[in-house]
Amino acid sequence: MKIENRIILSNIFNIALILLIGFFAIQNLNLMLTKLRFVEIADDLNASFLEMRLSEKNYFLYHDETALSDIREKIDSTMQSIELASKDIGRAVGEDNLNLLKSHLKNYSEVVEEVRRDYRGDSGLELRFRSEGKRLREFSSTMTQLERKGVNNIISTSKNILLYSFFVILAMAIVVSHFISQRILHSLREIQKLAKSISLGNFNKPEGVIPDDEFGSVIAAINSMSEELRNREEELIQSKKLASLGILTAGVAHELTNPLNNISMIAQNYVELYEKLSTENRIELMNKVQAETERIEKIVRNLLDFSRPKEPDLKEADINDVVRNALRLTQNTLDVSNINVKLAIEPLVPHVFIDEQQIQQVFVNLIVNAVQAMQPGGELSIKTRLNAGKDSVEIDVSDTGKGILHEFLPHIFDPFFSTKGIGGTGLGLSVSYGIIKKHKGNIKVESTAGIGTTFTIELPVVRKGDY
Amino acid sequence: MDRYRIMVIDDEKIVGDMAKMSLEQEGYIVETFLNAEPALVRLKEEKFDVVVTDLKMKGIDGMEVLRTVKRLYPETRVIMITAFANLDAAIEALRGDVHDFFPKPVKIKELKASIQRALSKQK
Repeated sequence: MKIENRIILSNIFNIALILLIGFFAIQNLNLMLTKLRFVEIADDLNASFLEMRLSEKNYFLYHDETALSDIREKIDSTMQSIELASKDIGRAVGEDNLNLLKSHLKNYSEVVEEVRRDYRGDSGLELRFRSEGKRLREFSSTMTQLERKGVNNIISTSKNILLYSFFVILAMAIVVSHFISQRILHSLREIQKLAKSISLGNFNKPEGVIPDDEFGSVIAAINSMSEELRNREEELIQSKKLASLGILTAGVAHELTNPLNNISMIAQNYVELYEKLSTENRIELMNKVQAETERIEKIVRNLLDFSRPKEPDLKEADINDVVRNALRLTQNTLDVSNINVKLAIEPLVPHVFIDEQQIQQVFVNLIVNAVQAMQPGGELSIKTRLNAGKDSVEIDVSDTGKGILHEFLPHIFDPFFSTKGIGGTGLGLSVSYGIIKKHKGNIKVESTAGIGTTFTIELPVVRKGDY
Repeated sequence: MDRYRIMVIDDEKIVGDMAKMSLEQEGYIVETFLNAEPALVRLKEEKFDVVVTDLKMKGIDGMEVLRTVKRLYPETRVIMITAFANLDAAIEALRGDVHDFFPKPVKIKELKASIQRALSKQK
């Protein structure tokens, strides 16, 4: 359901609740008014009954016949007022009580009649007269008290209902707004997660159900955007691959042209000068042809190695040994270019789980790159150490060369990317990157133009279960 | 008559060797270099009639060799060789007062003919 609809619904509910409470309040007020009217009438009646009883007393004290007729009159007028207000009274105290009141009054009136007719001073009748009068008066005043209490009850109930409904509405508002804001926050968090994953280059559709609210359409829009981005990225990768293929073709063509030209020139001379060449000369020329074909073969084999990277053959090894071996292999290059080597190895660094051949190739690549980046007299520095988390070995390979231009840094691990011009295939760092990734390691580069470049390799420390 | 002096500069040793082998048969004096720096030093000592140079080389490249030769000896002819069969490079080279341009693989007979033309124009 849309969040807007939820808000409307909760508002409708609250309004209905308020209307209901208002209706009950009006009902209560009406009932109260009725009861109050009865109380008024009852007060009048009580006054009349009190007068009757006074007259009753006068009759027995002074045997005043007029007192009896007073009572008679009072009874009649009271009867009349009861009949007049019978509706109100009935509603206030109920038909039963009304009838009871009427019958009490009737009994009293009968006793009055009897007294007027037959009273000869006998105490039985007097007692009955008095007790009927008393009963009437008591009934009436009890009813009045009861109704007063009723009015009080209604007032306090109304007060309570209003108080409780205030709390109910308040609680509803809090719960609903909390629920809605939770929904909004939840959806916003989802969108935030989505945006983060897109910024990390993950253009896959998000898992989970798309909510059926306003945020659902936002998420749907982001999805279609990320799908578009993914398509664009694929196009980009495709065009990059084509560009790489172009660079590769040009690189391979150049690499192959030189030995082919050499073979061609040897062959031309061999044919042209055949008669003038000694047997030794001819053999020498053919040996050169052989060497050039080997050169071509090597280029082709490297290319095949690149297109079919080998799975690493993992064994436990001391990284310091691998570094030393790589330095031994490159000793000649280092000497020719007059490069100083500074080795800062941590002697007891934990063993790593690696293909020594491949990791050595990575170091050789990095060392050769470093040498090529430096002028004679430069310094190559290699450091090994355990990382802060004690779960990886880190190896720095630093040079004091010309550095890598900032705009080239994101591309240096791309295949066929080279800054060396002729002689660089652009495969060395790309292959190295692939090897390190296959070892579940990491390779990073930091470079400052004019100061030098540092490659840092991280390889996980060997653990039980690696075998 | 003095024999013509020809200089060949190419970082591929076999190019120099084969050019020397063939050109010496024609009676030329041939000197070969693997890169431009020592070649230019040698040129300052002595005049060569024709300089055959690779276009793309580490350090000083063929275009700079051409400029230096033309400054030192305006009548000396320069022939370019390159592994890149690149039209742009050829056009640039030809604009720079180059005598001829050969993509690899080099036809030695054509190279010799080009050298002969260059020498005949100098007379």
